[in-house]
Amino acid sequence: MTVVRIGRVIAVPVGRAGAVAAAAVVALVAVAAVATLSLGRLGIPVADLPQALFGGAEGKAAFVLGRLRGPRLVVGIGTGAALGLSGALFQTVTRNPLGSPDVIGVSAGAGAGAASAALFLPGLLPVPLGALAGAVLAMAVVYVSTGTGFQNPGRLIVAGIGVSAISVALTQYVVYAVERDKATVLMAYLNGSLSARSWDHAVTIWLVVLVCAPLVALLARRLDMTELGDELAAGLGAEPGPTRTAAVTLSVVLSAAAVAVAGPIAFIALTAPQIARRLTGGPGPHLLLSALVGTLLLVLADLAAQQLPLPGNLPVGVYTMAVGGLYLGYLLTREWRKGTL
Amino acid sequence: MAEGNTVSTSGLGVRDVTISYGGDPVVRDVSLDIPDGELSVIIGPNGCGKSTLLKSLARVRKPDRGQVLLHGRDLWSYRGRQAARHVALLPQNPVAPDGITVRDLVRRGRYPHHTLLRQWSPGDDAAIEFALERTALHDLAHVRATELSGGQRQRAWVAMVLAQQTDLLLLDEPTTFLDIAHQYELLELCRELHGEGRTIVAVLHDLNQAARFASHLVVMREGRVVTQGPPAEVLTSELVADVYGLPCDIVPDPRTASPMVVPHDRR
Repeated sequence: MTVVRIGRVIAVPVGRAGAVAAAAVVALVAVAAVATLSLGRLGIPVADLPQALFGGAEGKAAFVLGRLRGPRLVVGIGTGAALGLSGALFQTVTRNPLGSPDVIGVSAGAGAGAASAALFLPGLLPVPLGALAGAVLAMAVVYVSTGTGFQNPGRLIVAGIGVSAISVALTQYVVYAVERDKATVLMAYLNGSLSARSWDHAVTIWLVVLVCAPLVALLARRLDMTELGDELAAGLGAEPGPTRTAAVTLSVVLSAAAVAVAGPIAFIALTAPQIARRLTGGPGPHLLLSALVGTLLLVLADLAAQQLPLPGNLPVGVYTMAVGGLYLGYLLTREWRKGTL
Repeated sequence: MAEGNTVSTSGLGVRDVTISYGGDPVVRDVSLDIPDGELSVIIGPNGCGKSTLLKSLARVRKPDRGQVLLHGRDLWSYRGRQAARHVALLPQNPVAPDGITVRDLVRRGRYPHHTLLRQWSPGDDAAIEFALERTALHDLAHVRATELSGGQRQRAWVAMVLAQQTDLLLLDEPTTFLDIAHQYELLELCRELHGEGRTIVAVLHDLNQAARFASHLVVMREGRVVTQGPPAEVLTSELVADVYGLPCDIVPDPRTASPMVVPHDRR
């Protein structure tokens, strides 16, 4: 534990393990980013990358960087961070590794909201706003139907499964109700996809991440305290109730923004904080590290989606779902054995 | 700001406090001043409201009616961290975060002394060292809290609230889940801290332990304070029969001469 000081006003203790892990993950993200831009038939050779990035790109390189892979990569980095952060917030608040926004229905709700916006209010309600509305509505239903708010993890998961099922049913209905060509586009979106993202998407997600990140940072210490149990946290002056509400709000905004730009990409929010926790071995929500791990996971999954020789151009959500599903199974078994579920 | 009302109070007390969890009130119109420099022990049957009263004294449970006063000011008009620099509470079921070391756990007690941007204060290291020393946890500072024995873990929690460096220390049934040797070890620690001039309020279940270690006894029944004072005066066979419905003799403890409860056989 070292204390980082800036003048007399700012003094923040930093754990060594966390700092080392964060640096390592950033390095891996950089490697994955370079690979994303340079691999494959249309890739920009690594030797030409600095010139293309900083000296202005021309011809094929300009197209790949400006249209094809550049926005996709930037959206992927922002979305992965948003999902990782969202998951870390939710898991800390619920004190449960399964209390992730996608398990308890944020993603499904956002998907249903986005789909409904596309069908019922085309042109009136932008799809991203529909996603946000769906996510908020889903969380409101979960909050009310548990009877204990976000306190009891078991009830939270059961309520979330119910809300998810209703949301998915609504989404399916919308997909059947709209014309076939629109449905195909909608379906790809609902699997979670980073293909054909534009700079508009990049601006949206980065704006949300950059607004939420400082707020999350301000909340971080109080969140640390809520880990000690509500009574102790309250006795220490950390106001657990308002802290929890603020954390859930930020978490829902972040994951809804992620769904809005990339569709409901599964399991990043669930796995990133768990991997972050294991990287340091220490306590605490590991907010920054979770964001970085989320970024790494999503960029790697999208790299696989672009470069693996599988038929049909699978959207990235299919990869994260396959890997994340296995991980969820592992986690459930472990929690079951520990008797904490 | 006036510092306390009379010489003998610690500055913490409740006035006409009523608290309910939905149904009937668990604390009814209680007024109580915590005496300064005493080891006060609150006793009473299950559900008499003693834990709830303790929580209201620590700004954890807001009273539905009445006021909690700290140095003449409503406790809820203080900011959370400000109040936590005066009063520390060790609740019944604190949670040790996964993977936390004893030292880091104790460090969390320093939270009230930090600000949003200054998450470290010059007194931190000294306060943490003192707390570890007092609780004999120095050699275990780098061990994970989950690997400690029950007695050691409870000492770690006490160390955490000690690092908070408050005038008042509130302990909610600190001996629950400990075996008898560790119960006495913890109570001895409370007595030592009391001897060093600290004001302590503890909720205890065991009447004999309460009588032995308390310098001031507060007896509650059905949400009200029945009586209070030195254990030798307060703890009588009439009181135990009245409050607990348990016929008993009170004999002097052969070691300490403090009152000891010997229940009658009911055959």
